[in-house]
Amino acid sequence: MFIGQDITRVDALDKVLGTAAFAHDLKKNNMLFACVVRSSRPHALIRKIDVSAARALEGVVTILSHEDIPGENLFGAIKKDQPFLAAGRVRYKGEAILVVVAATEETAQRASDLVRIEYEDLENISDPFLSIQSPVLIHDGGNLLSHRKLVKGDAAKGFESSDVIVENTYSTTWIDHAYMETEAGLGYLDDRGRVVVASSTQNIHYKMKEISRLLAIPPEDVRVVQATTGGGFGGKLDVTVEGYLALAVWHTKRPVFMRYTREESLLAQTKRHPLYIVYKTGARMDGSLTAVEVNIVGDTGPYNSYGETVCLRAAVHATGPYEVPNVLVNSRMFYTNNPVSGAMRGFGVPQLALAHESQLDEIAGLIGMDPLDIRMKNALKRGSLTATSQVLNYSAGLLETLKAVEPFWRERRKEGPGSGFGLGCMYYGIGNTGISNPSSCYLTLTPEGRVEMHSGVCDIGQGSDTALLQILCDALGMEEMGIDLVRGDTDTSWDAGSTSASRQTYISGMAVCNAAQKLKKYLKEAGYYDGKPLKDIYSDAPDGSVPIFEGHFDPPTTAPDPETSQGSPYATYAFATHMTEIDVDEVTGVCKVVRVHAAHDVGRAINVSNVKGQIYGGVAMGIGLALMEEFIPGKSESFDNYYLPTSMDMPEVEAMIVEDREPTGPFGAKGVGEPALIPQAAAIVNAIHDGTGIWMRQLPCDIERLKLALEKNKENK
Amino acid sequence: MLPKFASVIARTKDEALSWLSSLENPKIIAGGTDLMVKMRAGKHYSHVIDVAGIPELLTMTEKDGRISIGPAMTHARLSAEASIVRSARSLALACGLVGSPQIRNMGTIGGNLGNASPAADSIPPLLIHDAVLTLESRDASRKVPLEEAIVAPYVTSIDGKELIGSIEISPLRGYREGYRRVAKRATWAISRLGVAFAIREEDGRFTDARLAIGSCTPMPFRAKKVEVLLKGAPKNEATISEAIRMALEEMKLISGIRPSYAYKLPVLQGILEEVLRG
Repeated sequence: MFIGQDITRVDALDKVLGTAAFAHDLKKNNMLFACVVRSSRPHALIRKIDVSAARALEGVVTILSHEDIPGENLFGAIKKDQPFLAAGRVRYKGEAILVVVAATEETAQRASDLVRIEYEDLENISDPFLSIQSPVLIHDGGNLLSHRKLVKGDAAKGFESSDVIVENTYSTTWIDHAYMETEAGLGYLDDRGRVVVASSTQNIHYKMKEISRLLAIPPEDVRVVQATTGGGFGGKLDVTVEGYLALAVWHTKRPVFMRYTREESLLAQTKRHPLYIVYKTGARMDGSLTAVEVNIVGDTGPYNSYGETVCLRAAVHATGPYEVPNVLVNSRMFYTNNPVSGAMRGFGVPQLALAHESQLDEIAGLIGMDPLDIRMKNALKRGSLTATSQVLNYSAGLLETLKAVEPFWRERRKEGPGSGFGLGCMYYGIGNTGISNPSSCYLTLTPEGRVEMHSGVCDIGQGSDTALLQILCDALGMEEMGIDLVRGDTDTSWDAGSTSASRQTYISGMAVCNAAQKLKKYLKEAGYYDGKPLKDIYSDAPDGSVPIFEGHFDPPTTAPDPETSQGSPYATYAFATHMTEIDVDEVTGVCKVVRVHAAHDVGRAINVSNVKGQIYGGVAMGIGLALMEEFIPGKSESFDNYYLPTSMDMPEVEAMIVEDREPTGPFGAKGVGEPALIPQAAAIVNAIHDGTGIWMRQLPCDIERLKLALEKNKENK
Repeated sequence: MLPKFASVIARTKDEALSWLSSLENPKIIAGGTDLMVKMRAGKHYSHVIDVAGIPELLTMTEKDGRISIGPAMTHARLSAEASIVRSARSLALACGLVGSPQIRNMGTIGGNLGNASPAADSIPPLLIHDAVLTLESRDASRKVPLEEAIVAPYVTSIDGKELIGSIEISPLRGYREGYRRVAKRATWAISRLGVAFAIREEDGRFTDARLAIGSCTPMPFRAKKVEVLLKGAPKNEATISEAIRMALEEMKLISGIRPSYAYKLPVLQGILEEVLRG
């Protein structure tokens, strides 16, 4: 048995020894260096570009603009609306305009400083609320990117039958992924003249297709390889360095390397979407929820990236993990000239969790009910109808996560003034929302008598390689891990989809199970389970070769109804409860997170240490979201003034694993990557209210916001 | 990108002073935790003179009731130095809170003064210990009180040919002494506000109270008017609230009203209450 064991991660030794080749470590003889010239304006027409001084610099090889793109200049995972290189117009500060290629990195940077660009400024649409009224269109189709409506029951009637109604506005801001490794990669031509790009990425097959469109060459003439990747969190889903590298290689026929500085990554890369949420909740005196009405306004910046995804996911998760008979949600995503917002751990759900969890605590306070009891009363469970009227037929362990923290909750004792406790619950649909998002892999045997797994899954540090190997070993009934992993390369693997939406363990894990079933049948017939070694099975194979065994899985979902979003957007959901203890220093406004109990229903923990690692990391990120992280366009230029939590800000975390097994998942597993983060900020905000009596409805509640709120509260008393 | 520059490592103070007077566009470097950041941002010096290993700048001596601190001593070392912990507790605490472990292991007290940031953690403690700098050049030496050495944010009266030779402070014994700082996160953060205090009380009266406040005004300042008020005053709520009122007034007099004061004034008030009540 490998599942449920703390198998040492397959990437651990290389990382500990420092021999793992991250994208920043890649090099090739004779390689050139590229860097990007970026817009200094949020919204402008480009009147003139003067590259003469840059070109004259010794060592500069070429300077590429959108005119040098042989194929299509637009990319985008959901909608092709973002140029690789600006074509006459820039729509945000930091947008790429030119790629400079030179003999050294220093020369490339110096040359990019010598480029002179004349702009004609256009109206800077910096407010999503004004975006819709502006006569200036960021794209021809208008400034509303997406409007999703969710209708279940009759919200108006639900409110009529409510004893208590609470309505508040919540807002969140831009958050940077702040992965340890900034965007980087190496491109070159292989001996067949194909374009190869190795980079720090969360997906390879998607990027292969984008490069093929960019260069107008067939996808089979492109190879994308995942270098060891130092974190992603959604920020390495979009094409970044890959496009520029492919273009530079295409023109120079030489290997080209590039990496973003931290400042460049902060300036140019996607952020978490700021959401403005007006949230109305109705309940009866017994605590049962009667109706929820939510209006969400999001700011995606000038390009879609994952804006539509966040818009929809926020809508279908708006109620939180509770049974609400009447729901009305309007979720709108607008284009602005702010930074591009894209995918980031949770796709809008952490923002909504802040709202639904605060609302629930406020209701509980008004009717005199314990916050844990009101959650238990309304919790989704097996057989429940979600906000999209999906019946939860299988794994739905929210109640078990509540019960896991219950003893700690019931015994909580405040240490003194400013001490407080808060709960946060969440549910999260595993995989993409209401669309096909398949994964494929294949297995074969090697002459040495080992199983070879070909996987296109990008392990970005979260541990999917190890988890998939554990799944395969158990699926084959192997006693030792006799598996060679061939991974992260479009030449040797099939499309497994992106490492996002907490989907790899569940979806790619099922693809592995599917392939393993076929291999197992073959091995059984060949006598493996009667003791015949794999080596002999290989050499005795008919026709002298062992076939490949394909594995596929696409989670069964239904597309949300266009008018009501009703349907079954996900095959399964993860559930969690966090209980957070905080201590607010009322003199300074400093909120210290003291202790966290985090209970997660993951279906089945494939690798217990990995699951706990995800939970610790999620808590850290939740603390950043709640208390300090705030990207301010034009001001947040480096980690000097973008504050992330450090280990000194970390509380004690008790990670508790609940296993309500999911029959459609691999050995019962679901996912934990994003769930680990989602409820933490909400739990902190509820704890702050418990400790101070103040509702912090704008994130982050940093020391200044919290202190000013405390002062205001004192005045009001 | 770092601009190009030449660097030399001085083995003695005289060598450093000689280079300082003869080389073109020179700059002293010790830990480099501020200087390298500025140079990377484009500040250019032709010659960088490394003084971090000069033995004369790394010693600490006690003479005639004064402690002399070598300016190349790191924050990490000062935070753990027995005589500093004993006789200048606020300084030891402040040095232990600067930046991160890496910064404390590299950054020096002399560098912290030379950089003269309004938020420098070491400055308020040095102020309450009546710090005096010995500034040396190849041909001369002079003593300047710290308060006069810093003339504006990030500007000192230290000449380009001068080096901080030593920092003399008065030890304080029998005082309740400490350093309170507020920052946006638990570590590795610039102080939003710092208060160094040393208070002696006898028979329900303040006999001596020293207060210096950082990160609120263009330069950290010692609240001398408040100290005069407190000297000999009975320790009661009336004295304390009057002292706080004066401290806030003094601050507003120095800087006018700043947007950040909406946060800082109430925080300073709260901290001073805690400090004075003890």
